[in-house]
Amino acid sequence: MLDRLRQPWSDNRAELVLGAVACLLALAIMAMIVFVARGAWPTFEHDGLSWLGSGGNPDSQIGAMQNTSTNPPASAFLVHAWPLIYGTVLSAGLALILGLAVSLATAIFIVDFAPPIVRRTMTPVIRLLAAVPSVLYGLVGILVLVPFTAQHLVSSSQKRSVEYVIQLSNGGLGVAVVLLTLMIAPIMTALITDALESVPRPWREGAIALGLNPLRATLAVSIRAIRPAIVAAAGLAAARAIGEAIVISMVSGGVSFSPNPADGQIFWFEPFESLASTIVRDAESINAPALHSTLYAFAALLLFSSFVLSLASYLIRLPMRRYQVSS
Amino acid sequence: MRRPRRLLVFVLASATIAVAVPVALAATTVITISGATASFPLVELLTHAYSKAQHNKIKFSVSQGGASVGIADVAAGKVNIGDSSRGPASTDPPGLDFYPIAKYFVCVVTNKSNPISNLTASQVEQIFEGKVRNWSQVSGATATGTIDVDSRTSVAGVLTTFQNTLLAGGKVASPPASQFASEGQLQTAVEKDPSAIGFLSDYFALNKKINAVAYNGTACSVANTVNETYPGFSFFYEVTKGPAVGNAEGHFINWIQTSKAAKKLIETNWIPLTITKTVSG
Repeated sequence: MLDRLRQPWSDNRAELVLGAVACLLALAIMAMIVFVARGAWPTFEHDGLSWLGSGGNPDSQIGAMQNTSTNPPASAFLVHAWPLIYGTVLSAGLALILGLAVSLATAIFIVDFAPPIVRRTMTPVIRLLAAVPSVLYGLVGILVLVPFTAQHLVSSSQKRSVEYVIQLSNGGLGVAVVLLTLMIAPIMTALITDALESVPRPWREGAIALGLNPLRATLAVSIRAIRPAIVAAAGLAAARAIGEAIVISMVSGGVSFSPNPADGQIFWFEPFESLASTIVRDAESINAPALHSTLYAFAALLLFSSFVLSLASYLIRLPMRRYQVSS
Repeated sequence: MRRPRRLLVFVLASATIAVAVPVALAATTVITISGATASFPLVELLTHAYSKAQHNKIKFSVSQGGASVGIADVAAGKVNIGDSSRGPASTDPPGLDFYPIAKYFVCVVTNKSNPISNLTASQVEQIFEGKVRNWSQVSGATATGTIDVDSRTSVAGVLTTFQNTLLAGGKVASPPASQFASEGQLQTAVEKDPSAIGFLSDYFALNKKINAVAYNGTACSVANTVNETYPGFSFFYEVTKGPAVGNAEGHFINWIQTSKAAKKLIETNWIPLTITKTVSG
């Protein structure tokens, strides 16, 4: 019997096994969606969609939940999560813009301009950076960037001007955006580098022969050809930035405030919280029923936003297919 | 034909282990514990020592998760004992017994470069409730500029203890106060920021990296907590569903509360109890 098992599989049997694995994965994802939705239901039941809006301080609203009993009244579910949603979108969006610029420049340099020795060293280094666990970035932030910002970048008059509203002492938007950028740039760089390398050399060389300088040739031909890959890389990076919990909970300043761009320079030092970091910070009391369902509602929103992201990046790519590299 | 035989040996061996291990374990009693992260280091010490003292006839499975988790787990019958860093609350499920096992206390702390020796009760309240925001308004402070108040997230047991004792029921105002997810993070923040003030449990507060401030003239110290002149203390509890008498949990809790060996372990970082009363929740 064992001998039979060790014979090469027939196509038929291989198909069945591979199909089963694929179905299992799909089932697991479905089960996760159902699980999160079930946990989040009480919040939607009692608050409708109003919990997505603004009003009050989510920190104290969540704090009040942990003292509710096992059968909480509808009023115990009250939360207005807008500052958290705003913080998530703001930090991930800024990091994405910054990261896209950095990784495009790096990828172009590596593929079209770097001397071979630099290219050979940089490619593996970037792949290594892409795999660094995010908690390491958090540690760098909390031990180096946060104290540096508080002591050298924030002036005492800036601190005094807002001292009855918020503190500018424990990191904030700027530090979080810098770390998120450091986190997502290597992934984007790796993906964009791969795409650039798949652009046929003659395309760019032809452009140079027609009189474009090398940088213009890259921008006009290669970058145009890999636009779908850039969008896909940005989508992946955005999903990682939105879901990042540990780094933000360590350096965001620990108050769910909404940073206001009209505040000028102080904007970058203002504290905020994201949905994911709130889940991490408050998971200790997740057994309090109202808090439990609130955190699941945050998780459901994150899940939903990742679907929206992948759908959006698909839709954006559709019209770009015309000049796509066939790879 | 050598491969299948090896496979057969492997299958037989795993089958033997699968049968033998549960049989061996059946001879021992396993006590399951879950709950407070703050008391976890202590509970781990105690469980190891108790297993050894009982010649491994009692084994433990200890997991963390927070005080509220431990209380909910023990009420639902998922574990034998729940760990708590706070006393019974009106919102806890009924029918639980809280056994105090050790005392801990909370200190107000500042940066080493700002070695305030004492704060009065009203100063502490004004600073943490956000009414006094500048070090120039605090006598004895060498720091200047805005006060950076560092607090814990609203779910932390240490925050509850701090607010109930040193703040006399007041609430830390946040914002402006920054909230940290763990004691370690708060400790790092106060260590790195010359104008910071915060609060930490004794395990994190009493070391050379940080300045512990006296409260109303009473130093935040083990001695002052033992004689209860320092008010900022609370208890670690073992929580059971129904009285822990005559069963394995009861023997374990009784051992913690009465034996000299347990007292010695508690004394390494915490304060043993002189009283061994139960608080019914």
